[in-house]
Amino acid sequence: MAMRDLVSGSTSCPDPSSSSSSNNPLASLANSLIASSSKTQERLKEIPTSTPTANGFQIYSQRSNELPGSELDKPFFDANSQGSEFLNRFRSAGGVGGGLEDTWDEIQREGRVSQLPTSQFERVYDQGPGPQLHQPPLDGTPQRVLSSFLHSFLDSGRGGIPFHPAPLPLLGLSEGDKQCIRDRSSIMARHLFADKSEEFIDAQVNALLCSLDIDSSVRDKGPMPERFREFDDYWNESQGNLRLGAPAADGWITEYSQHRQQYDNPDSWASTFEQQHGANGWASEFQHSQLSSVDQMRGMNMSNLAAMEQTRMLANTLSQNGDPKFQNSNFFQFVSKMSRGELIIDDNQVKETALPASGDWAAEYQQQYNHGHAQVSRGPDQWANEFTTEGQQHGAVGDQWVNEFSKLHVDDWADEFDQQVGEGVFGESSSEHWAHAYDEYLHEQVAAKKLSDSSRGVYVFSDLNPYVGHPNPLKEGQDLFRKGLLSEAVLALEAEVMKNPENTEGWRLLGIAHAENDDDQQAIAAMMRAQEADPTNLEVLLSLGVSHTNELEQTSALKYLYGWLHHQPKYGTLTPHEMPNSLYHADVVRVFNEAAQAYPDDADVHIVLGVLYNLSREYDKAIASFEQALKLKPRDYSLWNKLGATQANSVQSADAIMAYRQALDLKPNYVRAWANMGISYANQGMYDESIRYYVRALAMNPKAENAWQYLRISLSCASRNDLLDACDNRNLDLLQKEFSLQ
Amino acid sequence: MPIFKTPFNGYSVKFSPFYENRLAVATSQNFGILGNGRLHVLDLSHDPSLPPITELASYDTADGVYDLAWSESHDSLLVAAVADGSVKLYDLALPPTQNPIRSFQEHTRETHSVDYNPVRRDSFISSSWDDTVKLWTLDRPTSVRTFKEHAYCVYSAVWNPRHADVFASASGDCTVRIWDVREPGSTMILAAHDAEILTCDWNKYDECLIATGSVDKSIKVWDVRNYRIPITVLNGHGYAVRKVKFSPHSRNLMVSCSYDMTVCAWDFMVEDALVSRYDHHTEFAVGVDMSVLVEGLIASTGWDELVYVWQHGTDPRAH
Repeated sequence: MAMRDLVSGSTSCPDPSSSSSSNNPLASLANSLIASSSKTQERLKEIPTSTPTANGFQIYSQRSNELPGSELDKPFFDANSQGSEFLNRFRSAGGVGGGLEDTWDEIQREGRVSQLPTSQFERVYDQGPGPQLHQPPLDGTPQRVLSSFLHSFLDSGRGGIPFHPAPLPLLGLSEGDKQCIRDRSSIMARHLFADKSEEFIDAQVNALLCSLDIDSSVRDKGPMPERFREFDDYWNESQGNLRLGAPAADGWITEYSQHRQQYDNPDSWASTFEQQHGANGWASEFQHSQLSSVDQMRGMNMSNLAAMEQTRMLANTLSQNGDPKFQNSNFFQFVSKMSRGELIIDDNQVKETALPASGDWAAEYQQQYNHGHAQVSRGPDQWANEFTTEGQQHGAVGDQWVNEFSKLHVDDWADEFDQQVGEGVFGESSSEHWAHAYDEYLHEQVAAKKLSDSSRGVYVFSDLNPYVGHPNPLKEGQDLFRKGLLSEAVLALEAEVMKNPENTEGWRLLGIAHAENDDDQQAIAAMMRAQEADPTNLEVLLSLGVSHTNELEQTSALKYLYGWLHHQPKYGTLTPHEMPNSLYHADVVRVFNEAAQAYPDDADVHIVLGVLYNLSREYDKAIASFEQALKLKPRDYSLWNKLGATQANSVQSADAIMAYRQALDLKPNYVRAWANMGISYANQGMYDESIRYYVRALAMNPKAENAWQYLRISLSCASRNDLLDACDNRNLDLLQKEFSLQ
Repeated sequence: MPIFKTPFNGYSVKFSPFYENRLAVATSQNFGILGNGRLHVLDLSHDPSLPPITELASYDTADGVYDLAWSESHDSLLVAAVADGSVKLYDLALPPTQNPIRSFQEHTRETHSVDYNPVRRDSFISSSWDDTVKLWTLDRPTSVRTFKEHAYCVYSAVWNPRHADVFASASGDCTVRIWDVREPGSTMILAAHDAEILTCDWNKYDECLIATGSVDKSIKVWDVRNYRIPITVLNGHGYAVRKVKFSPHSRNLMVSCSYDMTVCAWDFMVEDALVSRYDHHTEFAVGVDMSVLVEGLIASTGWDELVYVWQHGTDPRAH
C-alpha cells in the first residue's frame, strides 16, 4: 500500500550512504511508522465495537505504550546517523544543543514516568475542565447583536463614493475588539494587496486604520484581553450602545435604533441637545458638526480628511478588480466598508455621530474653511440669534441650517465655541445667546424627568402643514390613517396635537403612524408625549415597551411592559401594588407567563411575551408567542410584521417574507413592512427584489430615510451603480421606472 | 458529492487519520475578524437513505477557530488553534460539557495553525501571530518549548512526515525555517518568497521536498538540500495562496487553495503543472485537505461557509 511505499521507499535523499538498513534509526523510524499504519488499519476494523478513550488516563497510557520505543531507547542525537545527517547538511550551527536535547529527553522520560497513576498529566486531566477551561457564555447578548450587525454589513453592498458616504454607523466596541479588528484586518489586508508595493499597502492599511479612528502606530502584541468580560461590562453599562446603522437592520429590533443618548455622560451637552431636538433633525447634525469642527479647528481632523482621500484610492483599487465573483465577495465589501469609514469604532470621545450626509457636510465645511476668510464676516452673536430664532421657528431644517452655518465666519465661531468648550459651560450657561433657548428647556426637562428615561426624542413638526387650521384634524388624521395615507395622516395629527398638546390619542396615533411609516425617532418622541399626557394608557405603554425593545434599552422596555400589566385591574393579583424599583427580565417574563396562563385569550399578553423574548434574543420563543397571538388576532398586521421581523432576526428570512406578505395583504400601505420585505430579500442576496420593495416603500413615504439608505446598498450590491445618483437625488420617478413591482 | 453548510466562515478542514468517513472543520464568525468560533466534526455517509454529511459533534469557542489537527494517536482527539491565542484539546468520546479537555493559553496572539506529530505521536506544534511556534505534549500543562526566531506572524508549522524532531514553519517575514527540536535554533532558513508566506507542507514521499505558498500568488517546491533555487514555481492562482497540501498517495500531486476562491490540483513535476482548477467556492477558499485513507478524496472549506468533499477529478458541486 501507499503508506508502506512512502516509508520504506528509499528513493528520497540521494545521499550515497542513505540506503535503508534495518539497524539504523531511520529504518527503525520507518518500521515504527509502518507498524503504526497497520495499527491504523486494525483500528478501522475495530470501530463498531471499540469504545474509544473513555477518559484521559486511558488516553495517556495507551499513548505511552504506542510510543516508538526504538527511538526512545536510543540517544536522541547521533551525528553519525542518517536521520541527523538529514539535518546536518543544512544545519547552521554545528554544535549539539545539549540543553534543549535534555529538555526533550526529559519530556520523554517524564512521559514514561507518568504512566504511573500519580502522573502529572493524570492529575491535570482528571481535574476535568478546571477554571481555566471555563467557556464564556456564547451568544451573549452583545455578541449576537454585534454579529448580526457585522453580517448585515457584509451582506450590504459597497455603496458609496468617498465624501458621499452612506450613513456612518458608530459601533461601540471594547478596546479588545478594536485591537482584534485592527490587527486582524491589517494582517489580512496585507495578504490581499499582495501585488502592490509595500508603500502602497502601508498607505492603505494606515488609511483603513485612520478612518477607523484607530491608532495605527502601535501594533500591540500584548496578551489578548479577555474580551467577553469586557463585553459583558460594556453591555451592562450601556445597553444599546451598539449603533446599528442603516444597512445593519435585518428586522424590527435593529431597524429602529439609530441613535442613542448618553444621559449619564456628565459633559454631554451634546446629548442633551439631541435629546431635546430629535436625533434625526438638524439639531443632532449641528451637534455632530460642533464636535467635528472643534477637532477641525484644532487641526486634529485634517489627517482624517487626508485619510478619507486615501480611502478613495482603496475603494478604487477594490472596484478595479473586474472579476464579478470578486466584486461580490463579502469580505471585500467588509474591508471596503471599513476603509470608507462606514464602520466606525466608538473611541469614547465622540459618541454621537452616525448621521446621514455628515461626510457631505465635512467636505462642504472643509471647503468653507478654506475659503472662510473670503466670506462675509458675521459675529457669533448674530449667528446665535439667527440660530435660536430658526430653531424656535422650525424644527427640521437641516439643509437650511447647513447652508446657514457654512456662511459664517468660521474662525470667529470656532473661537467662541472653543472658549465655551474650555469653560465647560455648554448646556448650563444661560449667558450665551445661542444656548439660551435650549437652556430653559433643558432645566425644565431635568426637573421633570429623570435623565435615565432614555431615548427620549423631541418631536419635530413638519414645517409646512396644510392641516393647521383644520376644524377637526384628529378625525381627519384617523380617516387618513385608516386609508393608509400615513404621511398625510401624520400632518393631520400634528395639526391636532399642536392644537391640543394634551391629547393622548392624537399623540398615540401620531406615534403609530410614524412607526408604520418607518420613522422611529418621531414615533418614540410622539409616544413619549402621549405618555406624559396619560401615564397609564395601556396602548401607549405597550408601544413604548416595543419601541424601547427596538432601541435595545432593556431597562426602559421592561419598565413600560411591566407598567402595562400593572395598570390592568385583571392582572392586579400578579403584580405587587407598588412598582418594584428594579426589574429583572426573568421576573417580568415569569409574571407575563402567569398572566398568559390566567388569561390565555389575551392576545396582548402573548405579544408582550414575544417582545420580551426578543429582548433576550430567544427568537424561537418569541416566534411561538407571536404565533399564539396571531391565532387570537389573525388580522393584526403589525403583529404579522413583528413575527416577520423576529423570524428575520433568527435568520429565517424566507419565513419572514411570508409573514410580511400577510401584513401587507391586511394593510397594503404599511411602509415598514414593504421596507422590511426589502431587507429580508437583501439578506438572502436577492438584491433586485429588495430594490423593488424599497422603491415601493419610498413611493409611499419618501421621507423614510432608512429605506433610502437600504436602497442605496442594494443598488450597489446589484451592481446598479448607474442609479446611485438617482438614489442620492431622491429621484423616485427614475427608480420606479427601473424597478416597479408587478 | 457532499456539501455541508457551517454557520460561520470556514477556516480549515482535516480528514480523520482513523476513519475514512470522518472530517473536522474549523470555523470563525465574521471572517475571523471578530466573534465566536466553532469546531465541527462531520461524518460522511454512502448510504443513499441518509444525508451525505451529518454532524457528529460541534464545539463552540469564544473566538474564531483558525485551524485544527486530528491526533495521530487517538481516534477521538482533536486539537484546535483558536484566535484568542489558545490551543484547545477536544475528546469526541466525552460529552460536550466536558470539552475542551485542555486549554493551553500561552500564545499572546492568534494561534493560526496546529499540527500533530505523525511520528512521535504524543506531541504537536502550534504556530501563532505572536511570531512563535510552540511544542506541546499531552502530558504537560505548559508548552515544552517555544521557537522564537521569526520576525512576523507564523502562519503555519508542519512536522516532517518522517523525522520526529523536524518541522518547518512559514512566516510573514518571508522565510520558511526548518527546525530540529533538539537544536537550540532553527537549522535552516529558506528565504522562499519575496512576500509573506502563508503555508508550507512536506512531501509525503520525499522527506527533503517542501512546498511553500505565498501572498505573491505562487507556490514553490524546494529541495532542502539545495535551497537556493526552487525545484519549480507554480503560477496560476490569482491571489495569495492560503494553503498547500501534498497528496498522501501520489508523490507529485499537490492541492492548494487561495484567496482567488479556487482550489487547484498540481503535478509539480511536469511543465504544465496545473491539473485541475475547482472554482466551487464563492468566497476565499482557505482550507483544503486530502484524505489519507481514501485516495483522491479532497475536502475544502471557505468563507462562503461551505464544506465540500469530492473525488479528485469530479465536480465538487455535483451531487
